[in-house]
Amino acid sequence: MIPPTLPKRSGRNPIPAQAGVGLRFRHHQEVLEARPAAAWFEVHTENYMGGGGAPAALEAIRRDYPISLHGTGLSLGSAEGLDPAHLARVRELVERTEPGLVSEHLSFSVAGGNYLADLLPLPMTEEALEIVCRNVAQVQDHLKHRILVENPSTYLQFRHSTIPEWEFLARVTRHAGCGILCDVNNIYVSASNHGWRASTYLAALPPEAVGEIHLAGHSLRQLDDARTLRIDDHGSRVAPEVWALYAEALALFGPVPTLIEWDTNVPPMMVLLEEAAHAAALIDEAESGNGRALAA
Amino acid sequence: METAAPSLLELQRALRASLVVHDDSGISAHVVDAGMSPAERLDVYRNTFASVLTTALRLSYPAAHRLVGAEFFEGAARIFIEAHPPKSACLDDYGEKFAEFLSDFEPAASLAYLPEVARLEWAVNRALHASDVEPLDPRRLAALAEAERARVGFVPHPSVSLLRVDHPADLIWRAALEEDDDALSAIDPGAGPAWLLVQRLATGVEVRRMGESAWRITAALFAGRPLAAALDEAPDTEASALLADHLAAGRFIDFSLNETSA
Repeated sequence: MIPPTLPKRSGRNPIPAQAGVGLRFRHHQEVLEARPAAAWFEVHTENYMGGGGAPAALEAIRRDYPISLHGTGLSLGSAEGLDPAHLARVRELVERTEPGLVSEHLSFSVAGGNYLADLLPLPMTEEALEIVCRNVAQVQDHLKHRILVENPSTYLQFRHSTIPEWEFLARVTRHAGCGILCDVNNIYVSASNHGWRASTYLAALPPEAVGEIHLAGHSLRQLDDARTLRIDDHGSRVAPEVWALYAEALALFGPVPTLIEWDTNVPPMMVLLEEAAHAAALIDEAESGNGRALAA
Repeated sequence: METAAPSLLELQRALRASLVVHDDSGISAHVVDAGMSPAERLDVYRNTFASVLTTALRLSYPAAHRLVGAEFFEGAARIFIEAHPPKSACLDDYGEKFAEFLSDFEPAASLAYLPEVARLEWAVNRALHASDVEPLDPRRLAALAEAERARVGFVPHPSVSLLRVDHPADLIWRAALEEDDDALSAIDPGAGPAWLLVQRLATGVEVRRMGESAWRITAALFAGRPLAAALDEAPDTEASALLADHLAAGRFIDFSLNETSA
């Protein structure tokens, strides 16, 4: 059998359709010494720019594990365009790391030349759609790498939005030729905050475009008058409702590389691996479910 | 009242004003208020903006944080963030002006050494994240004719920097990081100036004291002054030992030849 020819920089270590773990600094040493049984790791792009200890650790870790680069600073939704200096630094890291996947967010984080340190919501308008598509195309051209675009958690909506977020994301995928990073926790959080139906969101995404799934914990903020707001703080185990929604996603999309994210009060690696094992069991179920469907 | 839909650029600038200077006038009218006011919704983003950047400053300035305490540090950070929001999405780059800010920050005026400790912490932070560059191979220097060698202007390694401080900022910095209150109280803040060299080594960042004349020669070498002119100010044996030390420690990455050796 002749192996298919991979395009340049498609990733020396492709990300398998298994459960991986978000790698944070506190676990570098343990990963280098103990080689925990994680299927793959994802790191935050902006934490590995420049030189010194962190990039050196990543260089060693990537020899043994497939790596995915997940960015928070490109600001795909910026009307003022992308920061060429930041894009160049991302490219340098992509060339150095040869990641299996590269992803960013459906949001903006740069305005007036300032980095606003958060994934800020976009108005869901035709104008914003055009700008996101233009920026995504520029990123993919520059990196020579297809990217996945992730749905964010949001806490506000704009009055002049005309397109549901799920439709907006599907159209970005179609027009810009990128993939989707489906963050199931974010869908749950945003749906709960805005009164959307999470199942409607999942069903609107083109399954063939979904290249990765994110899972994380969120918290419930109690406002006065018994109102609540769900906050995507990546500081706890995945909620039972989100596991249920994840099973729904797998039924729609089939087995997809799935990541456990944890950024606030990062727990021991063992806890992350337990969460990943839970995801792996659901991926196995989805696979055998598909197998049965094919056999039938 | 109907408000005209803003362009994406207008909306993003308005949200920037809301987060950075807490001015919601351009954004509130465009936010859906179902169940929660626009201000409450914007607060979620404002809190993240402030807390992410405060954390970034605390990670870059751990000794300053320890010296003034968490509450004071966070108060100072909030004011700094409003005046100097980040320009880069890479937060390792954030906070360059914090030392300068602290030197003009009235509530910290009684801690004259604080801005110098912060300046040292920024040099350490730069050293930590500087690019990995191969040091200069000393054989390239040896291969030059003597007249050429006199004209050599060095390029310092990006992880290396020099600081002159009026207070023993290095001793205060070390004691603060080690949370050694006995050592801290034993330091005389008026114990005179120090000449420091900061460099990233394989084992971590080193802050070492230098003699004043060696520091001045090193500063001239790091500025790319011709080797002969830079070394002129020291006795021959001291100058050649200093140069050998810099080369052995990998503090240069390259050189070019100046027009003249003077």
